[in-house]
Amino acid sequence: MAIGRPRTSSRHRLTARQRAGLWIANLAAIAFLVAPLVPVILGSLHSEKSLQQDVRSLLMKPGDFTVANYRLILSGGAARGPIFEQVSYLPKSVERFPTAFLNSAMVGLAVTAATLVVAGLSAYTIARLGLPWTQALLKASVASRMIPLIVLMVPLYVMFRRYGLLNSLWGVIVAEIGFLIPYAVLILTPYFASLPSELEDAARIDGCTRFTAFLRVLLPLATPGLAACGVILFVISWHELLIPLIVVNRPELMTLPVVLAGLVSDYFVFFTLMMAICLLGLLPTVVLVLLLRKYIVRGLVAGALKG
Amino acid sequence: MNLPALVCLVVVLAYPIGYAAYLSVHEVSLRQLRSGEMPWAGLANFARLLDDEVFWLSLRHTFVFVVVSVVLEVVLALGIALVIDDERVWISRVTRALILLPWAVPPIVNGLLWAFIFNAQYGYLNRTLSAIGVIDEYVNWLGTPGLAMAAVITAYVWRTTPFNILLYHAALQGIPAELYEAADVDGASPGQRFLGVTLPLLLPVIAVSLILRTTFAFMVFDEILAITQGGPGNDTWVAAWYTYRMSFQPPFNIGLGAASAWMLALIVGVISLVYVRFLYRRVEL
Repeated sequence: MAIGRPRTSSRHRLTARQRAGLWIANLAAIAFLVAPLVPVILGSLHSEKSLQQDVRSLLMKPGDFTVANYRLILSGGAARGPIFEQVSYLPKSVERFPTAFLNSAMVGLAVTAATLVVAGLSAYTIARLGLPWTQALLKASVASRMIPLIVLMVPLYVMFRRYGLLNSLWGVIVAEIGFLIPYAVLILTPYFASLPSELEDAARIDGCTRFTAFLRVLLPLATPGLAACGVILFVISWHELLIPLIVVNRPELMTLPVVLAGLVSDYFVFFTLMMAICLLGLLPTVVLVLLLRKYIVRGLVAGALKG
Repeated sequence: MNLPALVCLVVVLAYPIGYAAYLSVHEVSLRQLRSGEMPWAGLANFARLLDDEVFWLSLRHTFVFVVVSVVLEVVLALGIALVIDDERVWISRVTRALILLPWAVPPIVNGLLWAFIFNAQYGYLNRTLSAIGVIDEYVNWLGTPGLAMAAVITAYVWRTTPFNILLYHAALQGIPAELYEAADVDGASPGQRFLGVTLPLLLPVIAVSLILRTTFAFMVFDEILAITQGGPGNDTWVAAWYTYRMSFQPPFNIGLGAASAWMLALIVGVISLVYVRFLYRRVEL
């Protein structure tokens, strides 16, 4: 990808009308990307009462502003405060939130680490060996990206049930690793292929095996690519609903998306709480992605195009 | 070095697909799961599936969902990619920084937040539309057949368009400046420049994104669960939702679910093959 391309700057200067057009187009694109998140923020800072009292207003009145929703969720339902004092029923998702957040983090980290190791080894052999069977492995990775997840979950449920992996985070982790390996291979293979192989060749002349050459020479060079792939894997794991929804039904083992899905039956009662939980649930990956945007973009483009 | 990956692929991908085929020709529901014995059912599950009106309805909805959402994703993404490609206004940097924002939102959160936006009483869509005077009475978006599907598609497209923008943006940056200069020398209008230079060079990437987005649109689940749960009536039942409901909610008919899962896999497989055949070949990737 060319960086600092001369073409746009060397093209003719913009007329005032073109400049205005581009500004409007950009603002429209920004509105498209950001606008749906505005109601989440506004809703989460309301009390349910003030949201329902005025169904016409767009922005909030200063007196309506409250952080009670966040206090309630972050305390797992303990810090009720004046707004929730008299509420007899609270969605279960509220008290389950802190545990689910931790579960999601644990699953995400385990899945990311294991997938990186397993897929990294395979991607390396595919990138360096170029043998027919490693190419076949690459093709298999592309093909397995096309399998709808629900198709895997029906048989996996029966298998997990038999081998005692239902209702355990291990079941979730194993299923996610298997589902993510092909994608990680697709992201990492072109990255490894783009790194120079001369250093490894030198290391192997000095007596390294292919594996130790990979470990000592290539891995340190590949840190940016591995980091990009790792962030993408973590994001996908953090987002995954179907796997934990089917594998786990004990409350203390639920991941965040499962707890959020539990709000579906509740949301006619507590929109403001729902939006606050949503905002807390999307914060980790949104912050991660906005901070590490450049790496992620490269990884995503490689995973889609070079396979 | 490939052993770990191969083991994982076999255990979690290859074997389950074969096992799904096994399940689909056996009688499997809660009772059989408990006793561990699954009697042979022949093609009874498939017969029941093809006999089920809701299954056909789900397939029809899936096709509508896939076609409309993929077209919208491609068109919107192409437009936004072209807008941010022009670096001569500084605001385009802001746009570029925000592209991935919807991609980072968890799908289930995306569903819930649009459920709030579309809510008939308190939702912000009705608030906005009435504030600018487009509607007088609040619209029951999620309770009206047709509108509910449109709502689900809107939510899904918002989350998935960024991925396409990214691909198109990367491809646009790879187009050599000389080609544009040559077009300028020839006196091409902006429209001619787009059709003559930009679009042909983007075609390979558009082909790839079509394949990826189509297969992913077939899997839509989270937004359905969060926004409509298949309603109103059966109006937003899609194939993945059908498989989930049949297998994991009453009637817990896993055999039937496996049969419908296989049908779904088959359809996606055939469509991918057709795409690869026609699109890849034509653009000589």
